[in-house]
Amino acid sequence: MSAVEAPSQAKRLAPALADAISQCMRDDPRVIVWGEDVRIGVMGPTRGLADEFGPERVVDCPISEAAFVGAAVGAAVGGLRPVVDIMFSSFAYVAFDQLANQAGRLRYMTGGQLAVPLVVVGSAGAAGSNAAQHSEVPSALFLQAGGLRVVFPSTPHQAFWLMRAAVESDDPVVVLHHPALAAARGSVTPEPLGLGDAQVDPVGTDVSVFATGMMAHRARAAARSLEAEGISVEVVDVCSLSPMPWDVILASVEKTGRAVVVDEGRLTCSVASEIAAGLAERAFGALRTGIRRLAVPDVPIPFAPNLEQAVIPGEDDIATAAREAVRG
Amino acid sequence: MSRESVLRERGADWLRTMVRIRRFEEKLAELHRSGELVGVVHLSIGQEATAVGICSSLRPGDQITSTHRGHHHMLARGLEPRRMYAEILGRAGGYCGGKGGSMHVSSFSEGAVGANGIVGGGIAHAVGLALAAQKLGKGSVAVAFFGDGAANQGVLFESLNLAALWQVPVLFVCENNGYTEFTPTDAVTAGGSIFARAAIFGLPAEAVDGDDVIAVHRAADEALARARNGGGPAFIECRTNRWRGHHEGEESYARPYREPPRPPDPLDRLEQAMAGAGLDAAQLRSTIELEERALVAESLAAARAEPEPETSRAFEDVFA
Repeated sequence: MSAVEAPSQAKRLAPALADAISQCMRDDPRVIVWGEDVRIGVMGPTRGLADEFGPERVVDCPISEAAFVGAAVGAAVGGLRPVVDIMFSSFAYVAFDQLANQAGRLRYMTGGQLAVPLVVVGSAGAAGSNAAQHSEVPSALFLQAGGLRVVFPSTPHQAFWLMRAAVESDDPVVVLHHPALAAARGSVTPEPLGLGDAQVDPVGTDVSVFATGMMAHRARAAARSLEAEGISVEVVDVCSLSPMPWDVILASVEKTGRAVVVDEGRLTCSVASEIAAGLAERAFGALRTGIRRLAVPDVPIPFAPNLEQAVIPGEDDIATAAREAVRG
Repeated sequence: MSRESVLRERGADWLRTMVRIRRFEEKLAELHRSGELVGVVHLSIGQEATAVGICSSLRPGDQITSTHRGHHHMLARGLEPRRMYAEILGRAGGYCGGKGGSMHVSSFSEGAVGANGIVGGGIAHAVGLALAAQKLGKGSVAVAFFGDGAANQGVLFESLNLAALWQVPVLFVCENNGYTEFTPTDAVTAGGSIFARAAIFGLPAEAVDGDDVIAVHRAADEALARARNGGGPAFIECRTNRWRGHHEGEESYARPYREPPRPPDPLDRLEQAMAGAGLDAAQLRSTIELEERALVAESLAAARAEPEPETSRAFEDVFA
């Protein structure tokens, strides 16, 4: 592939995903985009691609998630590099056999004879009263499926670089993006991020907060407000969930001795649970207090605005947990 | 081409492959009875003509996806009995290093992309493989083998729709052996015929006698020639018979709904057709039987002598 050029000006998150895909399409004719309403790019990551690349490479599909993800698995095995926009990541449940049993297993079952260079992109998280089937963050299910890489960028910089890394990877990668962050602004700098990376911002000394997507934004806001109280919070944005950046996660807790793990998925068997368990196993000696998990309780996402707000961790919840961790 | 000339040209090869499949599978039944073969194994005895009729129309570079009952597809595609036995017995020298087993035997370089343990799991893959072949200008075709059980999976209809919209070179082959696992297919399948379901998407679709290798081959040749010339997808329902149960050993817990069918043997039918075309079929059959029984025995012995996979291999090949 040709040298990567990061967009220099400030970008919004969803266009940064589209920028990354379009660069990959220019570099490599095997990259083809398909899925639901990708030509108008209703969800953002594919907007504008049809204008440049035309209907041969930006293909609108019927609402047949199992078949168009399955066809992408076959096309990836056959030498293309499909990028499939599934709209809402909850729609992946309809295609879950193709993701879990097929994309995530074929390489292993065949003893490494083939590769599945596939990207499945979908929104994840609550954007305001979309109710139980269009608001979830199912990242833990993708991790449990095995054989899938999973990234969840929270900034335009992460979005650009992680999407590039996803398209260039020879593994199936699920790229999640938060619908309420589609217009989040930020600069995309030339320092690349890849699968397995995390971003630490701000750096702190008293307590580590681990978060992803919208939760990373709320964690950063909580860190700013706690700074005024004299509490130094380190936020580790776990923008790659598979591979999990354990080195960064462990190093942070070795330094701060305290951990709050935040997740927009449901608590039971969540990403938060996995990070907390890993810390308990591998950094127990460094912990000065119990690990705190904040996640959606084991209920679906409700419709009414006040109910939706009640089940998803907010900035105040994060600040309270971090404060308790430090002050006991 | 006349029936006689097709038989003169291809009959001996067909007979050899069909005999190989039959003797290969019979050995597996023995190994299962003796306890040497672990796991679940689904045998293709009785369905040889379908696999051989379709696969003998394929060229190098063409790709197939297969099913939990797929040994006959793999042997008909040209995979080696030795490496297949090694895979099925969980040995290091198996096609997948012993990590796939009976339901996942595959050889990517030989166009056998994958056998699938999920009913209907590989159908959409064939559409994607065909699309890739078309976009990359490979000139190859893809064949999706699946059973009558998969005819009731939604992904089949989604895949037929996509293939028809995209006009990709894919052949859907429904191997209708009469049983959906343990249940007679006609008890769980509405509408009377499976191939008619494909016709509503505008695909050329037909049902053939799946135990008549000549009929299967004729249908496949026609469909594949059309696909190679840009004519798009097609659908063939091969009506065949499963001589054994859903899987070996099921008699320990499952009572068949009805007696297994005893249709005319597809191997004997081919031999008789060859004799009818003036070939010395009986002599040929006995020679082939001797040679293939020897090949199967040698292949099994070689596979048994293979080591188990290194334990470390269990942790490899998850990611690139």
